Amino acid sequence: MASTSKAISNSAHQQGQTCIAFSRDGKIAYTGGLDTLVRIWHTDQGEDQEPEAAYEADEGITAVAAAEGCWLSGGHDSDVRKYISGKAQFNGLVMSAAGASIRCLAVDPSGKRVAVASDELLVKIVDLDEITNVVVLEGGHKKRIRKTTWHPSGTILTTSSSDGTIVAWNISDTGAKVENVIDGVIPEVVDPESPEFMHDCSAVWHPSGQYFFAASRTHEIVAISRSTWTKTSSLSDPNTVGVTTALALSANGVYLASACNQEILIWSVQTKRVLWKHPGTPNAFTIQIAFSPTENLLAWTDTEGVLSRWRDAIPAESPDPVHQTAAGSAQGTTTKRKPTPPLWGEEPEAVAEGGDPYGDDWIIDDLGDGMEDEPEGAKAMRSGDGFVKEMVSITKAQPAFQPGSTPMENKKRYLAYNMVGVIEVTDQDTHHIVNVEFHDRSTRKGYHFTDHFKYDLGSLGERGALFACPPELDHPAQVIYKPYGTWSTQGDWTYALPKGQRVLGIAAGGERPMRSLRDPSSSGGDIQGQGNIVIATSSGDLTFLSGSGMERIVLGVEGEYVTMAAAEEYVLVVHRPGATTIDGSQSLVATLISFEDFQVLQEKPLPIPKGHTLRWIGTTDEGAPAIYDSAGYIHLMIHHRRPNRAAWARLMDTNLLERKQGKDESYWPVGLSQDTFMCLILKGRQEYPGFPRPLIQELPVRLPFRNQDPVDSPIEERIARERIQVNLARDALGDELTSPDIDKREVELDKQLIKLIQVACKTDKAPRVIELVKRLHFPNSIAAASQLAGFYRLIGLQEKIEAIKLWREQNATPAEEAREARQGFAYDDAPLARPKPFQNFNPPPKVDRPGLTRSAGIVEQTEFTASSVAIRAGRSLAPRASASRSTSPEGKRKRDDNDDDLSCNTFDVGVKRRAVGESNVAPSPKPSTCIAIQPGRAYISIIYCRQPIFSEDWARSQEKSFRKKTRAQQTYPKERELF
Amino acid sequence: MALPQSLRTSVTPLELELIASEQLVEIVPLITMEKTAFISGAYGPLRPPAKCRIPLWMATNLKLKKKCHIVPPEWLSVDFLLERLTRETSRPEFSKLPFRFAEIAKVVLDVASDDVQNADKIKSLLKDLREARQAKSRDGLQKLDHSELSLPNLCSMEINEIRPFFIQSMGILTQLVREPSAE
Repeated sequence: MASTSKAISNSAHQQGQTCIAFSRDGKIAYTGGLDTLVRIWHTDQGEDQEPEAAYEADEGITAVAAAEGCWLSGGHDSDVRKYISGKAQFNGLVMSAAGASIRCLAVDPSGKRVAVASDELLVKIVDLDEITNVVVLEGGHKKRIRKTTWHPSGTILTTSSSDGTIVAWNISDTGAKVENVIDGVIPEVVDPESPEFMHDCSAVWHPSGQYFFAASRTHEIVAISRSTWTKTSSLSDPNTVGVTTALALSANGVYLASACNQEILIWSVQTKRVLWKHPGTPNAFTIQIAFSPTENLLAWTDTEGVLSRWRDAIPAESPDPVHQTAAGSAQGTTTKRKPTPPLWGEEPEAVAEGGDPYGDDWIIDDLGDGMEDEPEGAKAMRSGDGFVKEMVSITKAQPAFQPGSTPMENKKRYLAYNMVGVIEVTDQDTHHIVNVEFHDRSTRKGYHFTDHFKYDLGSLGERGALFACPPELDHPAQVIYKPYGTWSTQGDWTYALPKGQRVLGIAAGGERPMRSLRDPSSSGGDIQGQGNIVIATSSGDLTFLSGSGMERIVLGVEGEYVTMAAAEEYVLVVHRPGATTIDGSQSLVATLISFEDFQVLQEKPLPIPKGHTLRWIGTTDEGAPAIYDSAGYIHLMIHHRRPNRAAWARLMDTNLLERKQGKDESYWPVGLSQDTFMCLILKGRQEYPGFPRPLIQELPVRLPFRNQDPVDSPIEERIARERIQVNLARDALGDELTSPDIDKREVELDKQLIKLIQVACKTDKAPRVIELVKRLHFPNSIAAASQLAGFYRLIGLQEKIEAIKLWREQNATPAEEAREARQGFAYDDAPLARPKPFQNFNPPPKVDRPGLTRSAGIVEQTEFTASSVAIRAGRSLAPRASASRSTSPEGKRKRDDNDDDLSCNTFDVGVKRRAVGESNVAPSPKPSTCIAIQPGRAYISIIYCRQPIFSEDWARSQEKSFRKKTRAQQTYPKERELF
Repeated sequence: MALPQSLRTSVTPLELELIASEQLVEIVPLITMEKTAFISGAYGPLRPPAKCRIPLWMATNLKLKKKCHIVPPEWLSVDFLLERLTRETSRPEFSKLPFRFAEIAKVVLDVASDDVQNADKIKSLLKDLREARQAKSRDGLQKLDHSELSLPNLCSMEINEIRPFFIQSMGILTQLVREPSAE
């Protein structure tokens, strides 16, 4: 927001380099320029004053400084001159730099010594009272020094060199030595004639002395800690892009003024946000800014030679820029100022100790975004109550973001970057150019258009591209959907939000086209619809629209929206139900909402480590939700199709990647498929990909397993990973038993397992062999395993394997079991049937009290038994079913009579199965959890746990008696049906 | 046999290029294609933006139709070639390079120079490399023996280049060596 007060400007010098310094009492401002003059301005006089001038210099003035009782000037004539304070009265030479231009003068905090930087590659510290008393600082620089500044204590001098280094010198009475060299922060400018050379690259110390600010080569303002000499945080504003040409801190260190793009920005040091802006001189860049040491006055000079003075730069309702405590303003106005907030930098040690991974950023900015767009009254109120919170380091809540988007940098940004394509935006000042490109050019055709609304959100779905723009002036926030297809713009529609509401996030989902969208066939084109749209708005809702713009439902968000991504049949929404926790957790929750009927399929908190943030969400090629966080983990939601049974599997830890070792790089996810992680690789500290568009890299997915066995571990990892994928694929099957693709993968899996079996046979690990054999999918593979055991002359083992094979042949295959399990989900989660009033004569449903049952044999949890057992365990959603389980035959008959036919069929199957299972285990005290197991299966389980050593004959006899028993019991439900 | 005698003994560079076209390269496809069977094998499926390994001839074909980007092999980069060039000039033996690097580099640079970073620099580096290696093989002529010639790390194009002359000289050497013993 622009401040209300206006700056006054005077043309002071000729074009080119200028400099400014305030006197110690703040009443005088000295400006120097290329016209060899130093002008002396009285700050209390207005635009019409006629300033005094000092004419002694022979060449252009490059630096002025005010010391105690005098002021100094230096310039290209290599002399540093001393004048009487406030007057243009020459008082002698301080030093001469032997033909080299003076680049900077810095008077120490006590006002007694001046550090002179010149082209000589050394800095001289001259005592102003005794000018023969000179300390020379040399050996720290290889290129000419551009700027020098003092630490508030006067014991550290920082010098910024044209080779891009900042050297911190430790100055003591005995001498000076280099304390640290900070490379890579400030830009390297070698040519002294280039305009960049005039930019202010000085290290501006905060009055607390804990850190300094500098304008970095990446166009940010960075804070560098005094204790570690490393970057602790940075200031950047999304609306301001460009090089910072000057920097200054207010006398008490609350505000930072910077010059960028012909604008003067005033930042809050505490919140790191731009508070006010003031336009500078057109077509000139400001090269030095100074805060008055005693007044609320900001002054700057620019390359046009103009001096600007901005009185009341800090509005009266905000904390004073000069005094540390509450006090009346310097202008004598009666406005009561708010107390100065405690400085963010006062406890940097405490922050550093926390080992906090994002620098200081996570300390809450209690002034919030509200600072910029709230009315004055609210702002004053908030800044008043915020300070208490500041004392506690509350985790900064992660703001809402759009997966795959980047901030505007160099007038370009990505709105979306995913597996479908890319939306690139180029800022043309008055409008944007939006370029939509697809990876697969055969299915969809890329396009570009001119955008006058300046869309800031974008989502690229399978069926169309979605854009949203913020409200501006008189046009409201609106969303535009551009479906892909044959007709160019006919399908487009817009959806406007009421005034005052904003769009926080958008997502476009839809079925993946099997063939080209331009293909008019029934399977390919638009017959499948145009997808689904979800819009998250600032009024706390998720609005679902159909692909043609029909509003379907508005769901409320239970908390704060963070981000979302749409898949084929559901949308994955991440929100924060409450607040962040004090120990650094973002406490985010992911919700899967189906497009079909807005059912919540899953609701799971995100497994993000404390102190880390969510970076990306998306779906894999197979449609499973996946997330990536700043700790470098990828998590995949497995079993996402099983209602409320999902889990986050850690699919990958990018920190363990081989290519990452010893390198400073990070990954920016684009997509995930079965075995590859598609990402863009960012070098160094880069946070977002830049332009031109980098190539997508493929990294292999590796589960973060810890076993390091060179032979077995890779195979085990591969099997486990493949298992996850096969399970995911199988969950999607529905009533199908299997698909050719799954079969193929299972054959591959078996091959891997056989390899492991061979290794285990070689090392004579019988239990391991048995376990592995049970994981095999096909009888043929088991036969192969048996052969292997024979080859290694493990006859006993071979017999056991043969036994396993036999049972496998006689019983349901794993594929059938999996199908049954799938059907079981639907059954378990069937909506509760409402009992008819006065007609439910059933006894109350049986209550399972596992703690009260007697202990029973443990059912072995192999892959194949586990699937069916675990599903029914602890699930009693259908009380009617469980009731029938425990009731007498009379009760069942009654129920049958009363029930409608529809449900009868389905339940009967369950009843039959259950009854069989129940009677099967009746003699033994089995927990009821395994009653639904198929007869033969339960049988195997029992044998496994009770009878580790057995022979084939024994098993046969057992089986025979078992069958007899089962047959007898199977008659029972049939009889019941006759009634 | 219309060709002159000197050319008839050796394979032409074009033929070598054809042979090298069977080598697999990585591409980023821009179109979707199912796994397709060719005489030399089945390649695909192409699923943008996933990379895929296909033979060079197919990559060339797709690239010319603007249906893919060719990912240059890792040895076709300024850093790698510069390192090899310094090794080539500082050490006596031939440095290790892919056997058909010359042919592949030529095809990739001809067809997909926009996919290669610093294509011009790479071209000049390849030329330097070729000259350095040629000088070495000329030096090797001194060590020519009538019975055997060991050529570690020599590449197909270079072997082809020296083959007619070396074989002929070896034949003559054999004659020279054999005659004293026959007498």
